[in-house]
Amino acid sequence: MALGFAIGVFGVLILFHAAYSTIQYRGLLKITEEEFSGPPFNVVIELSLGLVLCMWAALTVPGKFLSIHPDSEENRIVSLPANLDFMIFNHRGKVFPVEMDLKLKH
Amino acid sequence: MAVHSESGSQEKKSSNGVNELLTFNAENMQNNMKIIYYSRTFLSIIGGVVAGILGFTGLKGFVFYLLLMAVTSVVLVAKAKFSIQTYFDSWNRVLLDGFLGGLMSFVLFWTFAYDIVHIF
Repeated sequence: MALGFAIGVFGVLILFHAAYSTIQYRGLLKITEEEFSGPPFNVVIELSLGLVLCMWAALTVPGKFLSIHPDSEENRIVSLPANLDFMIFNHRGKVFPVEMDLKLKH
Repeated sequence: MAVHSESGSQEKKSSNGVNELLTFNAENMQNNMKIIYYSRTFLSIIGGVVAGILGFTGLKGFVFYLLLMAVTSVVLVAKAKFSIQTYFDSWNRVLLDGFLGGLMSFVLFWTFAYDIVHIF
């Protein structure tokens, strides 16, 4: 995750550099009194690269998706809490279908 | 065997019409929605800065935003390994959630970057 964060910071730095290049390019256009039709080609390349890097960072930094099935492998509750006096087992969960071939996991 | 306490992370919630699950783990569902929200907001801001630097005005900027959100949706579906049923309860959540909030952030940073680069 630190790598994703570093890639994101690097992408934002590339964007700032592209902005600075565009500002200088506009200054040059003001001197030669031409019209601004689009940033130079290398700035466009730089912007696409920064966008790709930031997209990569936006996917890896927030974390992984977790499964929402209650009966998947990583969502199992395999040990009872210590406060057994407060646990209720006579609830509406008994209407769910029962899996008979689950194995205990330590 | 050591015991460890589970703090009520398994909530039961049933809904009909959109999914076939009788119940799902609501805490993981919230975690997945949070990830989508963060990703879309960050990419809206970055897209706004890029649109401002490129000098888009008017309709071109909004078309750029639509393209960016479409690419984000595709990439998020790829992050979920194309099996939406495992991580979400409906397709609308992963495709449309955060679209309008991201639009406002996009316009804000678009005008900001455009002003800095092209006007001052």
